[in-house]
Amino acid sequence: MKISYQWILKLSGLDWPVKEMADRLTNCGTAVEEIEPTDQYMEKVVVGAVIDLKSIKGADKIKLATVDVGSETMDLICGAPNVAVGQKVPVALLGAKLTGDFVLKKAKIRGVESCGMICSERELGISDDHSGIMVFDSDAPVGTPLADYLDFHDHQLTFELTPNRPDSMSAIGIARDAAALAGVSVRRPELDVVESSEKASDYVSVRVDDSDVCPRYAARIIKNVKICSSPWWIQKKLLVSGIRPINNIVDITNYVLLETGHPLHAFDYDRFGSKEVIVRRATKGEKFTTLDGKGHDLIPDVLLITNGKSGVAAAGVMGGLDSEVENTTANILLESAYFAPSIIRKSRKYLGFVTESSTRFEKGADPNGVVFAIDRAASLMHELCGGEVLSGIVDCYPNEIKPVTISFRPTRCNAILGTNLTTDRMKEILSSLEMEVTGEDKLIVKVPTFRPDIEREIDLIEEVARMEGWANIPDAIANVGPLFTPIHRCDSFTEETRTVLTGAGFDEIVNHGLVNSKFAKEVNPDLDQVRIVNPSSSDLDAMRNSLSLSTLVVVEHNISHRNTDLHLFEIGTAYFPPDNHHDWREDQRIALAVTGNTPNGWRRTPRPLDFYDLTGAIEHLVAHFHWPAFEYVTGEISYLEPALSFDIRIKGQVIGSIGQVAPKIARLAEIKQPVYMAEFSTTSLLEMNVPIPSFKPLPQFPAAPRDMAFVVDADVLAGDLLTAIRKAAGPLAEEVNIFDLYTGKQIEKGRKSIAVAITYRSSDRSLSGEEVDVVQDNIAVVLKKKFNAEIRDK
Amino acid sequence: MSVLDDISVLMEKAFERISQADSLAALNDVRVSFLGKKGKITAILKDLGKLPVEERRQIGAAANNARSAIERRIEEAKDHLGSGDSRTFIDPTLPGTAQPLGHVHILNQVTDDICRTFYGMGFEIAHGPDIETDYYNFEALNFPPDHPARDMQDTLFVEGERVLRTHTTPVQVRELERRKPPIKIITPGRCFRNEAISTRAHVAFTQVDGFLVDEGISVSDLKGVLVAFCKAFFGEDVKLNFRPSFFPFTEPSAEVDVSCILCGGKGCQLCKYSGWLEILGCGMIDPNVLDTVGIDSEKYTGYAFGLGVERIAMLKYKINDIRLFFNNDVRFLSQFK
Repeated sequence: MKISYQWILKLSGLDWPVKEMADRLTNCGTAVEEIEPTDQYMEKVVVGAVIDLKSIKGADKIKLATVDVGSETMDLICGAPNVAVGQKVPVALLGAKLTGDFVLKKAKIRGVESCGMICSERELGISDDHSGIMVFDSDAPVGTPLADYLDFHDHQLTFELTPNRPDSMSAIGIARDAAALAGVSVRRPELDVVESSEKASDYVSVRVDDSDVCPRYAARIIKNVKICSSPWWIQKKLLVSGIRPINNIVDITNYVLLETGHPLHAFDYDRFGSKEVIVRRATKGEKFTTLDGKGHDLIPDVLLITNGKSGVAAAGVMGGLDSEVENTTANILLESAYFAPSIIRKSRKYLGFVTESSTRFEKGADPNGVVFAIDRAASLMHELCGGEVLSGIVDCYPNEIKPVTISFRPTRCNAILGTNLTTDRMKEILSSLEMEVTGEDKLIVKVPTFRPDIEREIDLIEEVARMEGWANIPDAIANVGPLFTPIHRCDSFTEETRTVLTGAGFDEIVNHGLVNSKFAKEVNPDLDQVRIVNPSSSDLDAMRNSLSLSTLVVVEHNISHRNTDLHLFEIGTAYFPPDNHHDWREDQRIALAVTGNTPNGWRRTPRPLDFYDLTGAIEHLVAHFHWPAFEYVTGEISYLEPALSFDIRIKGQVIGSIGQVAPKIARLAEIKQPVYMAEFSTTSLLEMNVPIPSFKPLPQFPAAPRDMAFVVDADVLAGDLLTAIRKAAGPLAEEVNIFDLYTGKQIEKGRKSIAVAITYRSSDRSLSGEEVDVVQDNIAVVLKKKFNAEIRDK
Repeated sequence: MSVLDDISVLMEKAFERISQADSLAALNDVRVSFLGKKGKITAILKDLGKLPVEERRQIGAAANNARSAIERRIEEAKDHLGSGDSRTFIDPTLPGTAQPLGHVHILNQVTDDICRTFYGMGFEIAHGPDIETDYYNFEALNFPPDHPARDMQDTLFVEGERVLRTHTTPVQVRELERRKPPIKIITPGRCFRNEAISTRAHVAFTQVDGFLVDEGISVSDLKGVLVAFCKAFFGEDVKLNFRPSFFPFTEPSAEVDVSCILCGGKGCQLCKYSGWLEILGCGMIDPNVLDTVGIDSEKYTGYAFGLGVERIAMLKYKINDIRLFFNNDVRFLSQFK
């Protein structure tokens, strides 16, 4: 909302400089977002007179104007369609800074020199009107600085108001807060309605069919108005508030709306269609044309003002085309009503527009502000349009909405705020906000109906806080709350996982979980999706049911930006809708991905990253968290290459998958290099009870290290070999590690060579060479028998 | 000449050659010729068995002594030769060869920093689901049925009458439901809103909410904890400004500005020349919220606050595009240690 700073000064009676006004209002919850001087584009702009106009050869759209600006007479080029000799106009002199960061310089067009510029309202920052130049009254004194002539030394304050404060949506409302901050009362304009002897009730009657949604409807009749433009003081207030002046009647309704916050509507009485206002809900399919010329098929959620036959206005939102005030209008039916917020919200949503009126009714207008607003407008119509105000208000207000009364404990207020305010101070604050306060220990507060947000004691405490100022509430330095703060396993788990995996060279990624449902269906055809009803983009219309979906997107993004070597991990959530077995599920998971090569360096040769880089990182986690070893069992995972995909199992339970991304999925994701991914659920791992490791005494006797190399068929699994070796070696083998794996020239095709290092040790003696030889021989026999192993060296 | 004499002659010879050796290779030659498999001292030791028993011990001891002495001399000589002669050269300007470290995502770094700061003040961390019910996200938090936040334009709805939570405050309700005061918790997590993605807005964002419910909690306590947090997080000199505001679930409510972390309040581009940066919202938990979860709002009061992690990260690290967080470009990720 935009309001004139001068207006607030006048209504509050204060003289605070604009910055102070803005800061103090902001700190009481009536936030000023922007301060714009209204005369900022009027420096070096003066009133000038157009003395002469000449056409320019070869240019039919521009003219050479000679203007008198008081101090001199100058030639300038003007392209405005409405320029004419004898006009008084705003003339920008060289060096003037106009809107759009435009600084006026001497210009030459078609060989003609131009030393100034006649301006439109837009160029001067007055309005958006750029249809022609501004033209002033003929008595405007030539040479006067424009801002002085227009009396335009003001500031436009832009307010960012909270939705609970409809009372602040007006000049009076803002001034009320300002005045209260200074401990004074707002100065409402004095009313003096001069009524004629004719009775309004002879001209119009009002019937409300649904008083739940229209608790009050008041009307006045103003006869014989003369439609013309409003006086400048009204236009100026409207312009500073960002509203375009139209004619005196419409301007008055807008002026009163800005001043009081109460929306009004003026109908052309003679085109209203009857002498009867009937307020009712629209019927389904009822036709109505709003004054913007748009036709609507209505529904009962729209409240309609009718003349008994057809609709004339969509209540509280917009008037109808047929009864709009025109230049020929003579008699006015003026409406001031109170519509319930809920009906206006539904109505404007259905009609599809928000207006100054609908916003105020939707947030909550004042049912008891109806009369002040209609009287204010009527008196202005009398004063400015020569209208004759008929006697009386036709007011349909069957059930009066009364101010609420709230009991207020000053002790409670101090307890909630942590303050030491006196009861008198609280009374002063509440009274300055136009509340009626009585009582001593326990106050009884009568809250005016323009404050629909105040219903409870806490709402009043809030008022005390904002008027006293949060800055005046002391900061407590006591640390209160429970004595002990636990750290939960899931949080330490996340933190440790990050430490381990970043230590292993993996970069952490974070995804929001919204994915493209079609892509998700391709990647995980068998998994249910959580679907978004109203996605902001079709690319983000489902929640991911595996982390891999996001990982693939991230891998693609990086590769397409030439980051081709990636070690990535994410700790995140996969989402599942309810099914026959489960409620909504959010599964916490870890995902890992590698692609490209290992880092290059002066001492290392890059090699392609692959499966074992993933399992290596996982082994770090397994070791760190003392989990049982992960088993990788050939599985069929929809998005992984069939021959290269494995289920991750732990104690027989499948917790995830690992492998190389299938070419079909890589193509979909537009990835052209091999990607290896792993993803596993951490839910069961977190629940797992991992025993605290007990200390094992350090060995007393030396170890006997031995190596052994043998050739086996290429498809023999290393894990099976190790298990067999450990079993054959018995308790003396402390450790068995593979240290070489070879296939190639020296080995028969279809076979591979594996070399293991075995550490033998006994806890009660030094082992002799002979003893170890016996074990080594036994291993050789077993491997020969079980795997057809050919021992190369031992 | 006796064998013993031979030994002392060999020893002298060895010493002499050691003193003449000018390289490690030359020293090694000496070692080989005297102590190697076919060395002269080694030969004597090998032949000990052929000697009569009475000589064996005496000569054995002498030979062993000689061996030790020669070895010692060789070691000493090595020290004198020094490493210059070893032809090794260290270039300390070469990069080291440890495994490169990965990076924790900047959003998580900032979230963790915030959480750690509050943990230090006794706030426990709690989590809740990202897919929420209308009840926890709105109703229990005192949002009226027709509040604009419940609109399709602002909130992402999920098939099956759920919403993607628009704040982590629902966790507050869940924790208040299952605990008894005093309760002091922070709730970090992902939130969502129906928004077109641009440099300044995203469908997803990260929030850290916090609250305390106990007897006698006041605005004063709220201010105290936020001042303590901001000083710990932004530095001792930071100033706070509380502007009254409105949230359905707190009353009274305020928005909090900190003095600009770049210019200190003098005014600069970051703070749009206001001197202040808006960083969090806060207030006293509305009595309706406490009553809804069955906590007596006359006996207990509480405060709550919430801050946006992306905003703080953007301010702190001068990141100018919110989309960078979720793009996960490794050139971005690797800038933040």
